[in-house]
Parts: sequence; structure tokens; C-alpha cells
Amino acid sequence: MATRDPLDFDIGVEDDEDGTPSPSSISPPSSPPSYFDRDRHVAFFEMLYNLMPYHYQSQEINRLTLAFFTISGLHLLKALDRVDKDRVVSWVLSFQAHPRSQAESKNGQFYGFHGSRTSQFPPDENGVSVHDAGHLASTYCALAILKTVGFNMLTIDKESILISMRNLQQPDGSFMPVHVGAETDLRFVYCAAAICFMLEDWSGMDREKARDYILNCQSYDGGFGLMPGLESHGGGTYCAVASLRLMGYIEDDLLSKNATSSIINVSLLLDWCMQRQAIDGGFQGRANKSSDTCYAFWVGAVLRILGGYKFIDKIALRRFLLTCQSEYGGFSKYPSELPDLYHSYYGYTAFSLLEEPGLNPLCAELGMTDLAALVHCFLFFQTDQKCCITALTLTIFDLSTRLLCGEKTLHRNRSLGAVKILFSPHNLAISVLRVCGRCTTLIML
Amino acid sequence: MHGRPRKASKPEDEAASTAKAQKLRALQTQFFSFHHSKIYTKEAVELSAKLLEINPESYTAWNYRKLAVEHYLSQPDCNPESVKSVLDDELRVVESALRQNFKSYGAWHHRKWVLSKGHSSIDHELRLLDKFQKADSRNFHAWNYRRFVAELMNRSEKDELKYTEDMIYTNFSNYSAWHNRSVLLSALLEKKAEGFLLKENLLPEEYEFIHQAIFTDPDDQSGWFYHLWLLDQTVTTDHPLLVSTWPAHGSDVFLVGDRCQNGSFSPFTTVLSDSGSFPIVLYFNQPVKGVSSSTVIIECGFNKNEELLWEPLSVSNLQTAQVWVAHLKFPTSELDSSVEISVGYSKEIVSPRGSQYSHPSTFSFKVHVQPVERDSSRVSVAENILWREENFKAYRAQSEESIPIVSFDQLCIKNGHESTPIVSFDQLCIKNGHESTASNWQTEALAKEVECFRELLSLMDCKIGKLTLARLLTAYDVMSFPFANKLDEYSSVLLRKMTSSEESLLQHCFQYKDSVSSAIGNPICLRLNNLSLSRIRAFERLLWVQILDLSHNELESIEGLEAMQLLYGLSLGNNKLRSLTALEPLRKLKSLRVLDLSYNQIGDHSIDTTRYLCSSPLSHSAGSELNDVALINYWEAFYMFKDLKLNQLDIVGNTVADEKFKSVLVKIMPSLKRLDGQLLD
Repeated sequence: MATRDPLDFDIGVEDDEDGTPSPSSISPPSSPPSYFDRDRHVAFFEMLYNLMPYHYQSQEINRLTLAFFTISGLHLLKALDRVDKDRVVSWVLSFQAHPRSQAESKNGQFYGFHGSRTSQFPPDENGVSVHDAGHLASTYCALAILKTVGFNMLTIDKESILISMRNLQQPDGSFMPVHVGAETDLRFVYCAAAICFMLEDWSGMDREKARDYILNCQSYDGGFGLMPGLESHGGGTYCAVASLRLMGYIEDDLLSKNATSSIINVSLLLDWCMQRQAIDGGFQGRANKSSDTCYAFWVGAVLRILGGYKFIDKIALRRFLLTCQSEYGGFSKYPSELPDLYHSYYGYTAFSLLEEPGLNPLCAELGMTDLAALVHCFLFFQTDQKCCITALTLTIFDLSTRLLCGEKTLHRNRSLGAVKILFSPHNLAISVLRVCGRCTTLIML
Repeated sequence: MHGRPRKASKPEDEAASTAKAQKLRALQTQFFSFHHSKIYTKEAVELSAKLLEINPESYTAWNYRKLAVEHYLSQPDCNPESVKSVLDDELRVVESALRQNFKSYGAWHHRKWVLSKGHSSIDHELRLLDKFQKADSRNFHAWNYRRFVAELMNRSEKDELKYTEDMIYTNFSNYSAWHNRSVLLSALLEKKAEGFLLKENLLPEEYEFIHQAIFTDPDDQSGWFYHLWLLDQTVTTDHPLLVSTWPAHGSDVFLVGDRCQNGSFSPFTTVLSDSGSFPIVLYFNQPVKGVSSSTVIIECGFNKNEELLWEPLSVSNLQTAQVWVAHLKFPTSELDSSVEISVGYSKEIVSPRGSQYSHPSTFSFKVHVQPVERDSSRVSVAENILWREENFKAYRAQSEESIPIVSFDQLCIKNGHESTPIVSFDQLCIKNGHESTASNWQTEALAKEVECFRELLSLMDCKIGKLTLARLLTAYDVMSFPFANKLDEYSSVLLRKMTSSEESLLQHCFQYKDSVSSAIGNPICLRLNNLSLSRIRAFERLLWVQILDLSHNELESIEGLEAMQLLYGLSLGNNKLRSLTALEPLRKLKSLRVLDLSYNQIGDHSIDTTRYLCSSPLSHSAGSELNDVALINYWEAFYMFKDLKLNQLDIVGNTVADEKFKSVLVKIMPSLKRLDGQLLD
């Protein structure tokens, strides 16, 4: 068993002998707890980390996505110590597709990360890797995992990822996920934006085209469909708003600013999002659909980015989410069903948005912990213009004190003279970065 | 992803699952080896089908099948029948994958791909869709595919509308069906299909229809969202229209190298140009994007169309603006030539909401180039304007003029009907008539809705009903009283009135003539001073203005002034401008040389929050001519003035204008010759 990859599947043979908790080793409580049962969630995710149940074999092609949910989930639960970071790093890096030459990186293939081992092909007899190409979603997940385990992103071969990623962008601004072609929609625009953001380099995409595509997806009801003209959808709306945020086209906490001057219709969007909270307290993805755990994140994160999260009924949402909490740990899609990895992860992010004690704060636009996103900011600080450093020192000082103290009270509005800032470390750092020049103002005030 | 792990299960189930998992593993290994070796035998292709049946999300397997199909179609021995059987196989595989997971993106995409190969029948696809849409009437993949199939196979929108209506009658909570209805009706309106010619006929029926749903169950969101679409349709102006241009259709443009015109030309169409080019301005009724050398075609002897760069006159950086400008170079060799400009014969000019410019029009004008007699002393004199009352003489059209003033109706384009090739004063009036009837049905529809929902709310408490009523009232307000306050309304009415006829406009035209410039031609100045204006409007009729006096008004904003591309001299003295950033529109005025900002309130407020809106000099490499302190204190001045080529500036009477500030201005604008009346070295 020692030779196994991290995050390997249970291949279905008998019981494991390496002490991995199996379902029967946890005695189910008589009824699901009425609180966020962190310990059980940690146990559940640690089990997934050690051995993915064979039910997920049909998801084999999205191996990195499963890994992202697992590892980032443990980070949200403040249990990243269960993860062998070095092994994870080398395992993730082994999925990256590399061009053999500069010229090859422009041959139309996408040199990102493979979704799984099975989609990696050894080179043919002439040494040509015909099918060596990555997938946008897997690349996003790979980079997110690397950031989560604190890998130094500057050492990644980002050139080949970014140059080849441009091939995936369509004339209308959208992205297809693999170079051989597939459906194009907002999901992959988001992946591309998150990849560029994490690599701190926007040469991988034409931002203006992507922006125009996103703007075309906003429907008359304020939400966004996955493609222009489609019915508004919680997931599509998240991809749209988070992408615009990452690309710098909208500011944080838009609602406290002059919303009418924004490139999207903010007030209609806010209305639409607010109406996604159903009578039972949960969030639905579209009008008149059932509440579903994951939309507490997809829609909740949009509201957080807009600065409208304060308007929701948090008590009712919490109550709903707890009905989806499994007695085995994890969350299910609908109340009283069996949990799964995807809905568990978005259950944790939802609770993080609700500022549940015992969870790390969430970076809404990247869909991962603030801490993981923050590593980026520190790196960015070091490479930033000299004249901004003074102003940022103040910020860094503030942030690092908080990080050292491990405070939980990170989301607070704080007013610095005329510049009002949402005080989450990540958001603050980003606000400051986005308006580099205004740092002088910060000092002056 | 909607899995079901960790079910405590019976041993025999466990054994079955184990067997299944092992089978999947074996399948995958086998499949990838086929894929890698490019083996497309029957056996290999069947294996991928098995894999997809278990796991429809395997995009690699879908892509393998695409390659296999392409491989087969490229074989020499393939015939129509065998092609059909190959593609039929693909459709079958997709169908069984969808049965496994009808939310599979990969499977739906593959089906679209197969159909794009020109196969299957519309009946077959619609039958399949029926099945899926019955099973889950909200499946957005199915709805999306339905729209794809309908378009690909030219199914009529009306048939689709019928289907959608049936779905609504089956269950009016089905918002996907309502959404589809909005998509179909938009398309029908766009096409002006029979029975869908006018919104004002269609929308009242739709309001009736939606009332049934809303009043039956006010707690259901579907109806309310569809109502939101209707409201949106009611208030938005349909299509972008070209409202006005400069030069106007049928006009004669006289170009002179300096201000030395000899008085025999129309002051409305004689342009000073020291750059060898003159602007062409397109003024639309709403912001549009897509104006370019491929959507606007210019035919003239001396310029190549492709060389023209159309620039949006907008303060945001979005490629969307109500006014667009391009600069046409004029020849020095040809003295007279004509220019014809065609707008919107291709479809790319659209409003941000996506409605197309659909009134293609053409306008033409003549260009006369005046040979230049350069006299440097005169040129320097003409660079100044002294804003004194005695220097302005009422304008009288000289009867002896050989060329008359451009006829007034040419200053504005009318769009009363389709297929307007422009011009004629009558049509100008039709435009106004059309507008007023249009807003009549709109306000009527809104008033009716307001009444309707007041009634509903008197019967029950309903949050979304209140929200909708609030929206209706706001929309009604905006439509009936489009002004922020009384003063703005007054300004707008006054300006419309003054520009409504040639006679009233001429009353505000003056000839500028000061003691030193007596020898040269007398430029026309439009004086709108002392009128208590708080806003400027009616720009579409003022595109020709070169000298504008707006002094002694109540202006806090000069929004929209960027449209006046010919402006050479501008007085904003004695107004209520509060910040340098309020001058943003001036940055777009390339011809501006003389500017009077005296006695405003710039700098009155110690904290100017608008300052943060302009980009910081720290993000630019320019500005090295200033030291850091000056840059930090005055960066909005730097931002605002650095691209202006002013000769003369008056800024006295503003708090900001101390000696230090003035010295910074001199550094920012090397072209400046006069500051607050003082000649600079």
C-alpha cells in the first residue's frame, strides 16, 4: 500500500489493512447533530484523502478536481496537517503537460494539467506526444491545490501554460476546456481567469474579450446564464461575477460604492441573488428549484463579492445547511440524503461564509481559503513597485499580526479615511494592489 | 458528482460494486490504449461506448469517438448509407449516456457535434427532447439543445412558441419555459415577424397573460421574473438610431489652414484645421459599440476607408459610446471633393444590450479646401479670445453671401421611418411625432401595471409584489419626468426650445471681433451665458459649434460636452464646477485651444473624493518633467490637462489656483501662452 499515489482510489478489494477508518469504525450518532460537526467532517475528509471510495471511479477523469475538493476542504476545516504536502506537490506537478520546445508551445495544444493519470499518454515511437494536452478545469484545480499547500508559485513553468492557453479562447471571448474542442461557456472563462490570477500573469487571455462575453451572459432578470441568452443560473452567475472580480473589472464591496457606474447591472443582480434564498432558508440555483447545499456557496459567494451577504437570513440558511449535514460527516445535496465530496466541500465553504468558528475564512472569488489566496499577495508585494512598499508595509503588518494571532474576526468593515475597505486579509491586499497608485492616499490619510 | 458514497451495504451488493469497479478499471485501461494507438476498429469504438454508458462525463472518450467518426468519414469506401449508420450509432450512444446522466455536458455537446455533420431529423430530435423535458422540465441542457435544434433545422419560432406555451399551461411554475418564451418573442420582434410587428400591440397581451399566472399564485417566482422581462421590454428604446452627424448631410464644409476666413463662407461649416484633418462625428440616440471602418464606409477621393480609426467618445474605457469620431485627412492638392458616408449596412453596430442598428443610412457632403495664406502674426492674434461683452456682435446673416448657411434641418437627422436616406425638414418633425406616440403607449402600459399591482397588494401582503410596484413606479417616474430636479428640467426644456428652430438659434449666435483681430474673419460664437443652466443638452444640434460661451450659469457638470469635437474656444467662467475631475469631457476635445474656468469652485473642498476616480500618475511612466511632490499633490491636474493643447487658460477665482498650482499648469502644458490674461514667456 505504501507505493500508492496520494488520493488514490479504493480499488474495491476487501478491507484495507493500513488503519484507514472505514464506515463501520465510526459509530453513527443517534441523530445528526444540530451544530457544525467539525471533527466528523475532518474524519470524513481525512478518509477521502487517504482513500477515495470506489464510487468515485467514474470521476477518474477529474482526479485533480476530486483532489482539490479534498485538500482545500481539509484546509477550510483547519486540518491541513493531515496532508503530506511534499507528496501532494510532486504528485500534482506530475500531471503537468510540458512542451518539448518553445515552438511546440504554440502548436495549438494546451499545456496545462491533465485531469488524471489515464489521460496522460507516453510519447509514441518517434517521441511525439500526440495527445499530450491539459484541461482548463484540471489546471485550475492543480494550481489551487499547489497554492493551498503553500507551494512557491513562482517556480511553476507558467509560460507554457499561459501561451498555450490563449489557443483555447474563442473569438467571442469564451474558452473551451481542451484544445480538441468541447462546449464553451462561463465555467471555463472562470477557470482561465483564476489561472491567470493565481499565476499573476494575464498574458494567458484577452481580458477585454472575456469581459464582453461575460457581459453578454447577464440576463434581463439580473442573473447570468452559462452562455449568452441562457436562463440565469447560480453557477453561471458565480463564474461571471468572480471572473470580473479577478480580472479587476469590478471592485470589492460594489454595493457600498456607486453601483450605477458599474459595467454590470448590480441592483438587478442583487435582487436576483436575494431571491435565490428559498422559504426553507437554503439557496436554489434557479427560480422555483429546490434548495441545494452548493448554491449556498455559488450564490452566497456572489453576494459576498458584491458586499450584499449581510442581507441574507443567516440563521435560516444555517438551519437548512444543518439538515444536509450527514451523520457520517460531510454534506448532501438535499436534506437527509447521503453526503458526497462535492456538496461537502461547498457545505464547508458555505459555513465559512457564515463565519463558523473552527473554519478558515474563504476567498470568495477563488473558491478556496483566504490563507491559500494570501500567499500570492505576499509574493506580489515583494515584486511590486518600490513606491508602494511603504504603504503596503502597514497592510502587511496588520495582516501578519492577524495571521500570527490566528484571529477569526477577519471580515470587518474598516474605514480608512475616504477609502473604505472590507477587512478580509485577502480582500484588503487585493484592493490595495488593484489601486496601487492610491496607496499614497492611504498614507496621507 | 452527485455521488452516493459510504452506504453501509450488504455483502452481496459490496461484491457487485467491487466487480463493477474492477470492470470499469479494465475498460479504461483498454480504452486509453486504443485511443493512444489510434485504433478505430469496431471493437475499439464499441468499447468506448461501454465506457461512456458508465461514465458520460469522460470527455476523452467523447473526443475519441469524434476522431473515430472523422477517421471513418475519410475512408474511400464510405457511402451515404454507411455514413448514416455511423452517425446513427453516435446518436444512440449519446442517448444512452443521457439516460445515465441527462445533465452531462459532454454528451449534449457530442450530440450537437453529430447534428452539425448534417444528420438526424427534426422529428427524431424533438421526440427525444420531449422525453427528456417530460422527465425534467427544468433541465437547462435540454432547453438549450432545443433552441439549438430549432435554429439548426429552421423550425419556426411560432411552433416553438406554441410548445413553450403548452409547457407553461402544464405547469406555470416552469420558469425555464417562461424564459424560452422571452427568447422567442425577442427573436420574433427583432425579425418583425407577422403579428409581432410592434411592441405596443404585443406587450399588453403579454401583460394580460402574465397577470393570470401572478394572480393565481403570487408566491410563485416565475411570473414575476417574466414580468421583469416585460417591464424591461417596455422601457428600453428599441434600436440604436443615428440622430445627428457632423458634417451634416448635404452641407458644404470649408476648410482653412488658420482662422483667416474671408467672411463669405457659412460660419456654421467653416472649420479651422491646423492638423491637416477634420473630424467626422456620429451622434446616436444611445450608446453603441461596433463602430469601425467595417461598419462605417467612407467614400471619397482622398482617404482610404481602412485608414480611418473610429474612436468612442466616452469617459469610461469601454468600447461603447453615444458619440463616435474619426479624423479624415484632407488633401492639399484637390480643392473640392465630395464625401459619402454609409453607416450600418453591416450588422455590427449594436447597443450594449445587443439590439442592432437597423436603419442603414448614407449621408454626403462637399469639402472645399481654402488655399492658405500663412501670416504668422495673424495666427498668433487669433489664438486668443477675450471674453468681453463688447467683443460679441449679434450675428446677422449677410444677404450678399454667395453661399447660404447650411439649412437648419440639415443639422439634425430624422429617423421617423425605415429606409430614410435622410434630409428634409418635414421628416425631422415626423421623428418627434413618432417619439411622443411611442412614449404614450409606454406610460399607459406602466400606469396600468401600477394600478393592477396596487390592487393585488390591497388584497394580500406580498414582498415581491411590493418590489415590482416599486420598480414600476420608478420606471414610470423616469419616463414621465426624466430629470433629476427642477433645474435640470428647466435647462433641458430651455435648450431644446432654443435649438428648435433656425431663428431661435441664430439669436444666440454672435460674431467675435476684438480690437486687435479686426483685420481677420469673424468667427461665430454661440452664447448660452446667463441662462441659469444646470445641465447642457441638445448636443445633437450643436455639433457645429466652435466657440461656446457658457459663462454665468449653474453648471456643476459638463457631461456630454465631448460630443462637440469642433470646439476651439470655451468659456465655463462663473459656474459651479467643483473639481478638476468634473472637466473629464474636455480631455476628448482635441481642437480646444482657449478655455476659461475662472470663478468656479474648484478646490473649495479640501477632500475631493472624485480625485480617486482618475488613474494615478504612479501607474504611468510619464510625468518625469514634474518632481514627485508636485505630482502627488496635483496628479488629477496632470491627468486632466496633459493631453490638452491649450494656448490660453483662465483659472483665476478658484481656490485651487494658487501660484504653485499655476506653475505646475505651465509645466504640464508647454503650449500655454496666456494664463489668467498674463502672457507667458
